[in-house]
Amino acid sequence: MPELTISRRGLLAGSALLLASTALPAIGRAQAPKKGGRLIVAADSEPRNLNPAIVASNGVFFISSKVVETLAEASFDGKDGLEPRLALSWEGAADGLSVTFKLRDGVKWHDGKPFTSADVAFSALQVWKPLQNLGRTVFKDLVAVDTPDNLTAVFKFAKPTPFQLIRNALPALSSVVPKHVYENGKIEDNPANNAPVGTGPFKFAEYKAGQYYRLAKNADYWGMDEPYLDEIVYQVLPDRTSAAAALEAEEIQLAAFSAVPLADLDRISKVPGLKVVTKGYEGLTYQLVVEINHRRKELADLKVRQAIAHAIDEDFVVKTIFLGYAASATGPVPKNDPQFYTADVPTYPFDVAKANNLLDEAGYKRADDGKRFTLKLLPAPYFNETKQFGDYLRQALAAIGVDAEIVNNDSAAHIKAVYTDHAFDLAVGPPVFRGDPAISTTILVQSGIPDGVPFSNQGGYKNAELDALIAKASETLDTAARTELYREFQKKVAADLPLINVAEWSFISVARDTVGNIANNPRWAVSNWADTYLAR
Amino acid sequence: MNRLHRFFRTPEAIAGALILALLVAMALAASLLFPGDPQAIAGPALLPPFQDWSLPLGTDRLGRDVLAELFHGARTSLAVGLAAAAAALLIGTVVGTLAGFAGGLIDEVLMRITDAFQTVPGFLLALAFVSIVGPSLGVVVVAIALSAWTGPARVARAEVLSIRERDYVAGARVIGMHPIAIAFREVLPNALPPVLALSSVIVAAAILTEAALSFLGLGDPNRVTWGGMIAEGRTVLRTAPYLSIVPGIALVLTVLGVYLAGEGVVESSAVRRSLS
Repeated sequence: MPELTISRRGLLAGSALLLASTALPAIGRAQAPKKGGRLIVAADSEPRNLNPAIVASNGVFFISSKVVETLAEASFDGKDGLEPRLALSWEGAADGLSVTFKLRDGVKWHDGKPFTSADVAFSALQVWKPLQNLGRTVFKDLVAVDTPDNLTAVFKFAKPTPFQLIRNALPALSSVVPKHVYENGKIEDNPANNAPVGTGPFKFAEYKAGQYYRLAKNADYWGMDEPYLDEIVYQVLPDRTSAAAALEAEEIQLAAFSAVPLADLDRISKVPGLKVVTKGYEGLTYQLVVEINHRRKELADLKVRQAIAHAIDEDFVVKTIFLGYAASATGPVPKNDPQFYTADVPTYPFDVAKANNLLDEAGYKRADDGKRFTLKLLPAPYFNETKQFGDYLRQALAAIGVDAEIVNNDSAAHIKAVYTDHAFDLAVGPPVFRGDPAISTTILVQSGIPDGVPFSNQGGYKNAELDALIAKASETLDTAARTELYREFQKKVAADLPLINVAEWSFISVARDTVGNIANNPRWAVSNWADTYLAR
Repeated sequence: MNRLHRFFRTPEAIAGALILALLVAMALAASLLFPGDPQAIAGPALLPPFQDWSLPLGTDRLGRDVLAELFHGARTSLAVGLAAAAAALLIGTVVGTLAGFAGGLIDEVLMRITDAFQTVPGFLLALAFVSIVGPSLGVVVVAIALSAWTGPARVARAEVLSIRERDYVAGARVIGMHPIAIAFREVLPNALPPVLALSSVIVAAAILTEAALSFLGLGDPNRVTWGGMIAEGRTVLRTAPYLSIVPGIALVLTVLGVYLAGEGVVESSAVRRSLS
């Protein structure tokens, strides 16, 4: 967000950053992190299924990623943005039909049994591919996992699968669960889904519904001297306003995932003993998207979609709704993505007059009451910001003579209304970009997806050209060629507007000064926290 | 005239009437003073009150004029309060009169239904109803009426039970009037005053219930409501408390006004009864 004007908010945001940056060297200076202590963290939801191999979502990772580890984790400076966890190395074959993982030696499950390649094979074939929300797409062509020895796993694919995609999928999709715990009975009903067993730095200790989750130190962890903490307690605080108060009262030491409302950050950054950290979420970018139902004849007209894009003041959205903690979006890949992003796409600057002209050209003249047509607008209820953007969008549309009627639903009803019943004209959604467009982004515009798949193209949009491009990219092995195809994909989406990308945002952590080694990887909040410590 | 005079004898009644008059004036003047959509973005976001005189009460998280929202919110609150109370009184008196006048099995059935409604907490019933049917102004009115009609029904039945034994009712029977006609033309009008005395309580409760529903996100999202304003302000309670305080005060004053005025009405009619 390059911005040169000096505003009160800009200054405050700047001073918050400054504060964060002064906190960082302090972390660096602490030569020997202290051992011991209990870290108390705010949790805003209580996932029912805690198995990250089945439910690959941030709410589950926040707790389970400390217990169940992945093959690799995202990293700021590792090769290809990865650092080893359970796998030490990964190698893709030139024909794209296999990927070989060398696994870490001497790793033990929390119940004492050794971790072997059989566990990886079991997780990949029995859990990720058939059961996992994201793995179903990425691992659809996985046919076998060979285990020549205990520390080697060779993934075999029926069709050439880009190694780049598999690599990018490792941090979120490759949680390894123990075969000996899951092999008998139905995996979905296994009690370990609610009390996970893994190889991670912390063991799952206890869960009291409505109160807390407790994780205890794994003394047999493979990491040298890790973990530093004795315990992590997730205090359930569903009310977002209470997290800030709890931090100030020193009842909790960390509130991640913007548990402290954005509007409170200015104030809280001045409280002594607390720090506001904006880093550590680079790999978890949420996108603010206007989903469009192309079954409506007005919205099937490109000019109308362009008019809506021109009617949205992205600057207002970033500054007022996200208070500067976001960036405006140009297309379906966020600006902070190091591999795929291109700025070379058609853009739709805020221009109400142009939007009005486009609607006139499309043949939707204003009636006597100034209205052209009426739309049903469904803002997703998951975030305050998506709801506020819904209110803003209604006003923005009113300025171009489109009367939007807001329909509020709870989460379950919203998902049903939009993704199953298609009972919407416009919806506001927060899809997540997960490091590769093929994981959860192309599904937003691709046609032929069955009804009821959440966070997919349920707006009836069909573009054969775009479908062909997506299909081609999914089997292109060469990284450069594949990246180029996804740049083309961004251009086409921005030109044809199957949906409108408005902004991209991530989260903010607020922690006490004593919490060390936070935000040291791009998925920090959902990583394993083995090196997090408390300096007292 | 005499009655009006009696009504204005107590200071409570005067205060209540003043507040209500102000509220009605606000609701009526809303479109004149603040034409257009009150939810339109009017200025910079989170402007504190009394800083900019074109936006005297400041702006909310999106830059909407709080004063305009307050005026238009008065309209929603009053409309919902009055409509819900009218519906509750109508349902309640009809059910109560039928039960009391018919007696026997009909009485039993109607009163057991009333009991059933009464055992479910009113707010919970409204909450469940709105979340199933979907939030819109009409649904909210029906939801509140559903939870509020039992009181009037019981009072109406009790009154009717005593009135139906009076001589003029017996007289009406003798001249061959239809029982339904007796019930609604002879008995009901005389049973009404104590039921109407309940109306202030019901209006006040309806306004509060509407605010609570909106606070929980179950109000009509396309209208400004005070409850919705408080809910919006809650996320910035520490930085911009006025966003919750202003509509909160409006809500308190309104409910207080309705109660006081209701009290005045009850007292003036009590005076009349004791006089006669």
